[in-house]
Amino acid sequence: MNISSEQIIDKSSKWVVSFFVASAGLWLLAAAFLAYIAAAKLTDPFFLSSFEFFTYGKVKIAQANSFVYGWGGNSIFAISIWILARLSQCEVRGRFMLLVAGVLWNLGITFGLLGILDGHMNSHEMLEMPSEVWPLLFISYSIITCLIIVMHRSRKIHETIAPQWFILASILWFPALFIIAWNGLEINPVNGTVQSVLSMWFGQNLIWLWLTPFALGVAYYMIPAITGKAIDKYYLAIFGFWCIAALAPWSVVHHLEGGPVPMWIPAIGTVMSIAMIFPIAVASTNFHATAFQDIGKVWNNLPLRFIIFGTLSYTISSYIGVIFSLPAVAKLTQFSIINEFHFNQRVYGFFSMIVFGVVYHMLPKITGKEIGKSAKSFHFWTSAFGVLILLLSYLIGGLTHGVLAQQPSLDWASSVISSIKPYFLITEFAFIILGFSQLVFVINIWKVLVPNPFEDSSKNKNLASKASTT
Amino acid sequence: MNNIFKFALGIFSTLAFAWLAFVVGARVQFGDLKPTSSFHEDNGSIPLNADVFPQEFSGIAQQGAREYVSLGCTTCHTQQVRLVDSGFDVERGWGKRPSVARDYVMQNEVNIGNTRVGPDLANIGMREYSDEWLHQHLFEPQSLVQESICPPSPFLFDVKKTSGEGRISVKSNDVIRFISPSIRANRLVAYLQALKQDYELPEMAFVEDDETDEESEQLVVSIPDANSTQLPSWLAEQISSGKEIYSKVGPGGGGCITCHQPTGLGQPGVFPPLADSDWVLGNKERIIKISMYGLMGEIEVNGVKYNGAMVPPGMPMGSLSDQQIADVLTYIRNEWGNSASSISTDEVANVRSTIKDRGVMQMWTAAELNSVK
Repeated sequence: MNISSEQIIDKSSKWVVSFFVASAGLWLLAAAFLAYIAAAKLTDPFFLSSFEFFTYGKVKIAQANSFVYGWGGNSIFAISIWILARLSQCEVRGRFMLLVAGVLWNLGITFGLLGILDGHMNSHEMLEMPSEVWPLLFISYSIITCLIIVMHRSRKIHETIAPQWFILASILWFPALFIIAWNGLEINPVNGTVQSVLSMWFGQNLIWLWLTPFALGVAYYMIPAITGKAIDKYYLAIFGFWCIAALAPWSVVHHLEGGPVPMWIPAIGTVMSIAMIFPIAVASTNFHATAFQDIGKVWNNLPLRFIIFGTLSYTISSYIGVIFSLPAVAKLTQFSIINEFHFNQRVYGFFSMIVFGVVYHMLPKITGKEIGKSAKSFHFWTSAFGVLILLLSYLIGGLTHGVLAQQPSLDWASSVISSIKPYFLITEFAFIILGFSQLVFVINIWKVLVPNPFEDSSKNKNLASKASTT
Repeated sequence: MNNIFKFALGIFSTLAFAWLAFVVGARVQFGDLKPTSSFHEDNGSIPLNADVFPQEFSGIAQQGAREYVSLGCTTCHTQQVRLVDSGFDVERGWGKRPSVARDYVMQNEVNIGNTRVGPDLANIGMREYSDEWLHQHLFEPQSLVQESICPPSPFLFDVKKTSGEGRISVKSNDVIRFISPSIRANRLVAYLQALKQDYELPEMAFVEDDETDEESEQLVVSIPDANSTQLPSWLAEQISSGKEIYSKVGPGGGGCITCHQPTGLGQPGVFPPLADSDWVLGNKERIIKISMYGLMGEIEVNGVKYNGAMVPPGMPMGSLSDQQIADVLTYIRNEWGNSASSISTDEVANVRSTIKDRGVMQMWTAAELNSVK
């Protein structure tokens, strides 16, 4: 591939990628704002309590949806279009349709989140947005997926490599999961706790089969691209990929341990969670054996530093997750705020950190403008610090919560919950740091995407992304 | 791996295996559980008239379930009592037994939840909180449980400065406020009160025998035998047959025991006592009529007012024969210290012939019965 053809490809993806990155940034800010409100309400229940719009339950769920579908969805679109275009050596086609679908996707999420806050929430995990917006989201997602597949099919090199498997699998799994869950919960609803199994299966798989493989695929692409070294023990990657494909959809139901479902369901979940050690070890070996051949580069190259932070976080927390799926430990922790640890390490410590890294690597290439070094660095350190504090407080707080909850003699509110209040205070602090950090990130990227930030930053994102392309 | 269609086929089939197990398999295994009873006939069938559980929520409670979901209560509250090996939920007093899949089959939205920052609510309706307490808790949890971090929901209530009809007082920080619940708050409370797994199922019995259960069992046993030996044999037969009709809940029985209790004391305010009752011991015609068609509305017994409804006894309703009515009335007139003349089949038949034009479900009122004579 010569340099000029790479530039042509980047140029072809500029409008679309800019739009998705800019939208993703706004959703990230929305999620940060909601996360702060939710955390503040846990430390002071009277905070904003007279507004029904900001009831804790609604804010918390709106935050998760904004994070996963708004920030996660948009960055998946942006980055998969860019990486797959590069790997296919094809220009991005159907750009107008991609933009239209992108606008629909963001409109759908906007209405969905307002619906949640306005009291039209659904009860199913990660399907809480009102039923009305899902057809819209599904159609826009399908359009984007089809155009990405078309682009991939017209690739110049027949052989596919690890990043392509992971990213394509991730974008194909989401609609499959969605159809299964939507059919089982809305069209042809199942009865009783089958609903709970299905809803948990979907909610957890969304993390395991959508966000996780995508971020792994991105790391498989970025680490060699930045270090200039081939992935170490690359022959293991295919094994890791099929392990995730085969095991992850089984492993996610171990959270039902002891619950009102037949015992084989959590039991299979536990066994498969333990088997997940293999794909975790493969990905970890591939990434770290490659990157740590040149530690100086990891330290000095900011996008790579973000990505290695993400992969390390993936490795460590996935192993912790395996330990927490063992029945002896699970009965301590299964209903505690450890669940927040799992969610945040997955979508923040792993997925988001990798996305930050790619965005910092990708934006200068497609726009031709550099992002300020100290601003990026500030973003990295505040993010890393915030995530560490957040995860540690959820981890230690969750263990405390779980252990105390298993003492039937302790009063619930005055002993169990009171002793985890300090951890809620720490998470509130962590969300403030993360909020600042994310604000810096969004300013960083918008400065590159939008010619004059002072003129455009207050306008709506559609105008802004059009402006960015002129 | 290189052909996108073969690749898609591969990744979808790995997903399909899990789908087969968790969605199709789960649905086949426990997707169409039906309510059932823990009492079984010898041949394994459920008695025709036995109460089956779980029962459907009332309409207002079902609307309350929507409110519960829309306010995001599931974020912090589970509704599942875990198996004894998996946790100390039963010891904590969150239920008499672990929850099983069948407990949820009558619910449209199953909210078993996955995080317990608040206590488990699977049996909140069994913990004997009054509606008033629940309203106060919804309005401002901290007014009742100081350390609670549950968010207050003042938007579900109208706050007033003075007390009044239907208003509930809330005291916090030495300020007393009066709140009147909105329809949404009432729905939510109805839903919370409906959440109870206070019945046994064939697949799951109570973990420990609850005290109240033992009591009621003792009460059933303690129905004293009528002093049959000292009575003429025909009367003794009538009384023992009457006792059977009184106690039997099911076809051929009257099911009287469920409301009037084994003790014949009824329940204050709703079900009048039979022991030492001026109605039971007085005019025979009135109680014969009640035994055929039931009674509705206010009734004054021994100077105390009761307001409830008595459906025509028997299963199906109103099916007791003249002989059965005579027996059961003779029994209640000679039990719990009562002592009054027996009632014969002919007397019952006479009364029936005078009111044979009455509609099947037309229950009496006390005023109507008293005005006849």
